[in-house]
Amino acid sequence: MIHCELRICVGCRMCEVACSSFHFGSVTRAMSRIRVAKLESVGLEMAIACLSCLEKPCLECPTTALSVGDKGEIILDEDLCTSCQICVDACPVGAIGFYDHLPLYCDLCDGATSCVTACPSGALSYIEDHRDSSLVSFLQTDGNPNQKRANYVSVQGEPIREEWKDGLRVDS
Amino acid sequence: MSICRGTSLRVDLTYGKVEKSQTPDNGIGGRTWNSITLMNELKPGIDPLGPENILCIAVGPLTGSELIGTCRFIASAKSPLTGILGDSGARGFFAPELRWAGYQQIVFTGASDRWTYLFIDDDKVELRDASHLVGLDITETTVQLQDELHDPDLQVAAIGPAGENLVRYSIISCNLARAAGRTGMGAVMGSKKLKAIVVRGSKPVTAVDPKRFKNTCEQFKQRIEENDEFEDRHKFGTTKIMDELAEMGVLPAYHYRTALFDDLKKVNGTALRREHVVKAKSCYNCNIYCSRYTYTKYNEGEGPEYEAQAGFTVKCGNPDLELAVAVSNTVNRLGLDCISMGEVIAWLMECRHEGIVSDAEVGDIDLSWGSKEALLRLPEMVAHREGIGDLLAEGTKRAAKQFGEEAQKLTAEVKGLELFSADPRGIKGYALMNAVNSRGGDHYRGEPSIELTGDEELALKRTGNRDAAHRLKEEGKGVLVNYAEHMGILSDSMTLCKNISCCMVDVIGFDFAAEAYSGLLGRDIKAQQLWEICSYVSQVEREFNIREGLQPEDDTLPARFVDYPIPDGPAKGTTIDIDRMVKDYYKEKGWKNN
Repeated sequence: MIHCELRICVGCRMCEVACSSFHFGSVTRAMSRIRVAKLESVGLEMAIACLSCLEKPCLECPTTALSVGDKGEIILDEDLCTSCQICVDACPVGAIGFYDHLPLYCDLCDGATSCVTACPSGALSYIEDHRDSSLVSFLQTDGNPNQKRANYVSVQGEPIREEWKDGLRVDS
Repeated sequence: MSICRGTSLRVDLTYGKVEKSQTPDNGIGGRTWNSITLMNELKPGIDPLGPENILCIAVGPLTGSELIGTCRFIASAKSPLTGILGDSGARGFFAPELRWAGYQQIVFTGASDRWTYLFIDDDKVELRDASHLVGLDITETTVQLQDELHDPDLQVAAIGPAGENLVRYSIISCNLARAAGRTGMGAVMGSKKLKAIVVRGSKPVTAVDPKRFKNTCEQFKQRIEENDEFEDRHKFGTTKIMDELAEMGVLPAYHYRTALFDDLKKVNGTALRREHVVKAKSCYNCNIYCSRYTYTKYNEGEGPEYEAQAGFTVKCGNPDLELAVAVSNTVNRLGLDCISMGEVIAWLMECRHEGIVSDAEVGDIDLSWGSKEALLRLPEMVAHREGIGDLLAEGTKRAAKQFGEEAQKLTAEVKGLELFSADPRGIKGYALMNAVNSRGGDHYRGEPSIELTGDEELALKRTGNRDAAHRLKEEGKGVLVNYAEHMGILSDSMTLCKNISCCMVDVIGFDFAAEAYSGLLGRDIKAQQLWEICSYVSQVEREFNIREGLQPEDDTLPARFVDYPIPDGPAKGTTIDIDRMVKDYYKEKGWKNN
């Protein structure tokens, strides 16, 4: 999975540019499998790709178009996909995009992890041997994928904002 | 000869009509399209705050592409502050989104009779009611729109109370704090009762020659990382400048009364990082990510950049950095240009110091140097046009007329646009840029930063004149400013961040820009073609300004910089012969003196 360190992410979206460019040879956010949620009024931003969660609610695909690969990544069988977007809505952190009638999953660029390479701040890393983390507390999150990403970052960012309040600064 | 064109949205606010059209055929994006549109379509002599003004918002073919730093939109109209060409660029994330929605320019004509906002979702374009947003500041407006439209990823460019109240130096901001700050474009938007522009886009930017384009993008990334400025820009952003200007002896302390500021170490970039910066922030697709998020006991937000940092500390004689950061955040929220606002306050404090204005005359506000009361209250009063704020909202040139001749002598503006936070006398290329450029007193039109390097070989290569490498020489500045001006137009057309293209010395030239256009468009574009278009647009802007009444004698600096030397510090005694440099520049442009 692609991990983003919220404390370090600067919100530049170079990961989105790299992802979009790698998969489509073009650039637009909608083509990216990793998306930066920006909570500008509270100074938080974080890139979110598939977190390879324990629950994997996206797998409840009615046509069984989805399966899990050996690196924990979700694999889409395009022939089976009916573009119903149930998986898109099921993801508790809004990590699944949708473009040109197909859901967009992080496929780890077949090992190239182009977003990690592009990340200028070092916030992104590829965690190969991770233990599936639970997103159970986010399963009931309301809203569309963009709102769910924002919600996830907002929750993750609470301790960081507490640190700021307590006086933690970039040079301290 | 057409290099590139894009779809232009025509929004008639009087009749609520939206049509698609094409950008002008003789530009290269951004500012070139806007300036040509205004020249062709704006009726001369109109009221900048009346319905006949035209507000253009442009991006360019490279915006939202893989090329680093192509994150700006340019807002242009006749300026309510200067009465000549107004334009200003904003970085952030709005511009690429507009490009991805499929539009490279929006041209607003007429004026709405009710508050409205423009909603763009790819091909869906609508004017919608904005009455519920009136009075909200820029942050509130942005968050409200993202909430009610159920999309926190929506890009919003908005005006605050200052724009609504037609403050002549109000801004259009996206991403809460990335502003098209100069020349009052927010007031033009406000005069049209247009509160915000909201964009969501999903169309790709695709290079016609992907291999060539990708190669250029990778080279550009590398050039930036190898540039001498990279580390400091990355760490401090523009706030690194304060120490550099202090060393050069061109700090505008106490409104240009001294180049020395005793509390420099309390307010410089290092202090800002230590005391208030909680994280780094970036604009779209940038490996420098030079911006900062700050947290104070008063408020929080993105910024300040150098201009706000210095404008609310050194220039106003204020050693309290936390206060200045808070003021910067407030000014952003209210929708005011931090440069003009800082200059208004500092000028007023100097007037008070000289006994020209009393605290009583401004409603019993303490106007002593560094006054916390003045710094906290005046921006609010200006944005809402309360009390003395109503007069100060007109800008220093107009406000000074009310206070008389002595107050007018203390202003630091050219053509009505307030100057930056540096003393032009000790950076002569910048002085000339302030005197002659097409939007009035401003350094960012194109930074003649080669003069700060002392690198004669570089100066020779780019301008043909070795003297251009030295900031204290008046020789060679005509060619230098002409070159920097071309670089500015080029950057404003590529929508490239000028902190990269113009401040990171020689990180890009016309040859490299031509390579970027060539890869994206899939055909050979020559550096010379780009140069000629920039020359043409420079001429268009000059003619536009002359049509609006600009006189050659307006190409000058305030007498306080010409008649008196820098009083102290490392550049003590430096004077400036601005007329000589202007003549030199005119010669370069092929213009007559009269």
